[in-house]
Amino acid sequence: MSVQELDLKQEPPCTSGLGNYLWSDPPDEKKWADCVHCGMCLESCPTYEQTGQEQHSPRGRVHLIKSVAEGTLQVNEQFIDPVFQCLDCRACTTACPADVDVGGLIEEARGQIRQAMPLTGVKGAISKFFLHDLFPHQNRLNTLGGLLKFYQKSGIQKAVRKTKLINVMPQHLVDMESIMPEVKEPVKKKYKDVKVIKAKGETKQEVAMLTGCVMDVMFSDINESTINVLTRNGNDVVIPQSQTCCGALHVHAGDRDMGRKLAKQNMEAFKDFDKVIVNAAGCGCMMKEYAELFKEDPEMHAKAEEFSEKVEDISKFLHDTGYEKPNAEMNTRITYHDACHLAHGQGIRQQPRDILLDIPGVDMVHMPNSDRCCGSAGIYNITNPEMANAVLESKMENVPDDVEMISMGNPGCMLQMAMGVQKYGRNQKIVHTVQLLDWAYQKEDRMKEGEE
Amino acid sequence: MRAKDRVKSKDKHILNLADIVGGARSILYLKVDLVAYDCDGFTIHKHLPKAVVFPKNTQEVAEIVKYCSANNLPFLARGAGTGLSGGAIPLNGEIIISMVRMKKLISVDLENRRAVVEPGFVNLKLTNSISDKGYYYAPDPSSQYCCTIGGNVAENAGGAHCLKYGVTTNHILGLEVVMPNGEIVEIGKDGIPDAPGYDLLGLFTGSEGTLGIVTKITVRILKNPEGKQTVLAYFDRVEDGSQAVSDIISAGIVPAALEMMDKTAIEGVEAAAFPVGHPKDIEAVLLIEVDGIAAGIEEQIDQILEVCRKRDVREVRAAGSEEERARWWANRKTGFGAMGAISPDYLVQDGVIPRSKLPEVLSRINQISSESGLRIANIFHAGDGNLHPLVLFDARIPGESEKALEAGSQCLKVCADVGGTITGEHGVGIEKREEMRFVFTEEEIAAQTDIREVFNPHNLLNAGKLFPSPSRCVEIKKEMKAQAIS
Ligand SMILES: Cc1cc2nc3c(=O)[nH]c(=O)nc-3n(C[C@H](O)[C@H](O)[C@H](O)COP(=O)(O)OP(=O)(O)OC[C@H]3O[C@@H](n4cnc5c(N)ncnc54)[C@H](O)[C@@H]3O)c2cc1C
Ligand code: SF4
Ligand code: SF4
Repeated sequence: MSVQELDLKQEPPCTSGLGNYLWSDPPDEKKWADCVHCGMCLESCPTYEQTGQEQHSPRGRVHLIKSVAEGTLQVNEQFIDPVFQCLDCRACTTACPADVDVGGLIEEARGQIRQAMPLTGVKGAISKFFLHDLFPHQNRLNTLGGLLKFYQKSGIQKAVRKTKLINVMPQHLVDMESIMPEVKEPVKKKYKDVKVIKAKGETKQEVAMLTGCVMDVMFSDINESTINVLTRNGNDVVIPQSQTCCGALHVHAGDRDMGRKLAKQNMEAFKDFDKVIVNAAGCGCMMKEYAELFKEDPEMHAKAEEFSEKVEDISKFLHDTGYEKPNAEMNTRITYHDACHLAHGQGIRQQPRDILLDIPGVDMVHMPNSDRCCGSAGIYNITNPEMANAVLESKMENVPDDVEMISMGNPGCMLQMAMGVQKYGRNQKIVHTVQLLDWAYQKEDRMKEGEE
Repeated sequence: MRAKDRVKSKDKHILNLADIVGGARSILYLKVDLVAYDCDGFTIHKHLPKAVVFPKNTQEVAEIVKYCSANNLPFLARGAGTGLSGGAIPLNGEIIISMVRMKKLISVDLENRRAVVEPGFVNLKLTNSISDKGYYYAPDPSSQYCCTIGGNVAENAGGAHCLKYGVTTNHILGLEVVMPNGEIVEIGKDGIPDAPGYDLLGLFTGSEGTLGIVTKITVRILKNPEGKQTVLAYFDRVEDGSQAVSDIISAGIVPAALEMMDKTAIEGVEAAAFPVGHPKDIEAVLLIEVDGIAAGIEEQIDQILEVCRKRDVREVRAAGSEEERARWWANRKTGFGAMGAISPDYLVQDGVIPRSKLPEVLSRINQISSESGLRIANIFHAGDGNLHPLVLFDARIPGESEKALEAGSQCLKVCADVGGTITGEHGVGIEKREEMRFVFTEEEIAAQTDIREVFNPHNLLNAGKLFPSPSRCVEIKKEMKAQAIS
């Protein structure tokens, strides 16, 4: 990043900071107090693996963040690189014996950087476009139909059809292809006038669903699958229309004010529900951490903590509340990628695997280092393409050769992995865990219809 | 050249070193980056290096070293920086030569049971790379997830399973070293053990990076034991626990590992990331692992259970599953880091004591703890008498770091007093320089610095480590000697 792109002349407000953190909401001392500088986190970190440099390691980052508070370093241009190269993948939090919340510190430090040095120039414009003008506005996102094509292009769906590869594919894959839902209109729009999407059969409970901003435009089929799976298992589903983007991308980028705004809107939108079901690991993780944004506002903090309790990933929810095991055979070899914000962020590893293994005919092949980041990390692959590509390359090396699908629980990962599949000449289909379950249900239904 | 590859420095040494390693991606010189290298696992002393360079191969290491010695620039090697005695801290503003990009597994020779690695190769990765073939690398420091084999050689690292199989030095068959003048030498060529002449491998292993920079290592690998089993035992009195340890060994059993934690240590591991549910009110927990031919294991386990029961054990049992065994060890192996959960900072000490003295030593350490007002947890490689008192403190409280250092030093004094020594595996580094005097006379220390001078005559490589600064009397003697020669 060149100096011209930065506006270093922002004057700090007159709030009390911490050491050389001059702005409000500084990194939380309590978080680094637990770090004993042991280095047990080093090997877990993808950016350390790539560079071998400790300013790009969790321990190094914590040390630098602490050094600013202690006055040895400043929030300046040099400080940006170590803090913004972090993928926010949270692998270090899993590895750390002292449970240091490195990701939380990084986000707070980014908040300081962006307040002290707002992005200007080209980067600023791009960032503003994505974070302020696009993601929080569902209607604008919806009209961005072009992005939809991007998904289909980067997945194998289109390539397969165009190259007539479909003719030489094993029959069961062709079957699968044929039952893969077409990309439809966003579910939030589709169910605009439906107050409650009723459970099939007896209602066990009512849940609200986060449709997500990008998710609902590029992956509305996954949202459809989520609704199908929920209603099939006795859940009434409500899609509150006033919900918005979860704010994860903003918080990762250091825009904590916008993050707070979106958090408030969502907490309000979902206030009447006991469960908020999320099918995007990144969004779920963010919503579980809303309280972090309100450290300086005790009232909102308490509310956010209460709200976080209600947020639950779809795989954990199904696992905990029970689901019907499908009868139809899917006959496919798959592997599972642990999205960082599921495995490291929410400790959800076994539940999605159990769901997949409950589908008859699913043969699961172990992926080594399955909980290693794929390099997607929100819009990291747009802001730090070089590192993102290096991380993706080592991820793809771990994808077993002989599988037909890679399943996961996060749309960001799906895009990135689809890119990886294309770039490295692989041919796996990228699927969301609930999609596979939904397809199995659908196949079962069709079989039943056929019998009748 | 792209902006990222350009070195934006006016310092000619930085520019020249950058040329050797191939540009900006392989050198750090900005303050913010250097701060990440101002200490290692020992955080009480901090100093910024002048630069950090990342060589890719032995040739580059040799060129860097030649450049530094020609220009009188102090330098040192760094692995993962997990050292606990400050060996990798650039006390004199060194050029740090980071070995972590030299991380290849060069070859594995199963027939002759050896492997050749670059120094930045991470300890645990070696076992992970050969385990599917039924082999492993025995030295297993608790930091093995991250520490480098080069760092292990420098510190002669040990681990929980070194009781039966020996520490690093017992597993090193050959080294390639860049000497402080830039010359590349091979020691223990072809991995043939016990070459005639002086045991230079022994001298280099454990020399704490003061004699040369290791660039290639031939290690011994072992066949996986047929089976292994771990016993867990809780004792209400430390005396009973340590007596049980002695009984096990006198019974002729050689456990693969024999570990003990005291009450405060248990509080730490239970509060951290891998709790297993140890009771909070016991004085000592023992973990005893035996391995070997499957048939013999059960018999040994029975014997161990029997011995513990005779010593008033509160509860003793063998692991019910491999998963349980793994959980017990994860809990133990993350013991140091776990202290973060109950204290902002900790200082690990590393004494060795005769096993029989454990109860006495622990009660004297308790006394040090109450006198200093600092809590001290104890983790003990009970089998070989290597005791790790962990002094818990808060560096933000003025004066507390100094108090911790003093308490740590007193613990070592106790170890030396009962006939033990001041380091088992973490090395002397900066931390225990002065304590060397507890176990060596001035003359003995001088004899060792004389050896260093043979290899590292200008003391540019990792100066200020391992030995106390010479006291007046030795310095005067040296001066007299120098005058006599000239
Ligand atoms: C949580 C924790 C647990 C630990 N447990 C154990 C344990 O059970 N047993 C044990 O023995 N140690 C233990 N240690 C200490 C430490 O991990 C070991 O000393 C390890 O060998 C250091 O390796 P490193 O790669 O981190 O080396 P560094 O810390 O980077 O360096 C250590 C020393 O080695 C020198 N050095 C590094 N590489 C080279 C090279 N290529 N050539 C020459 N000199 C070199 C450095 O100059 C320095 O003096 C532990 C540390 C931590 C933080
Ligand atoms: S973040 Fe955790 S693992 Fe990393 S150095 Fe700090 S305490 Fe150790
Ligand atoms: S969050 Fe990921 S990239 Fe960032 S420091 Fe932790 S392990 Fe490294």
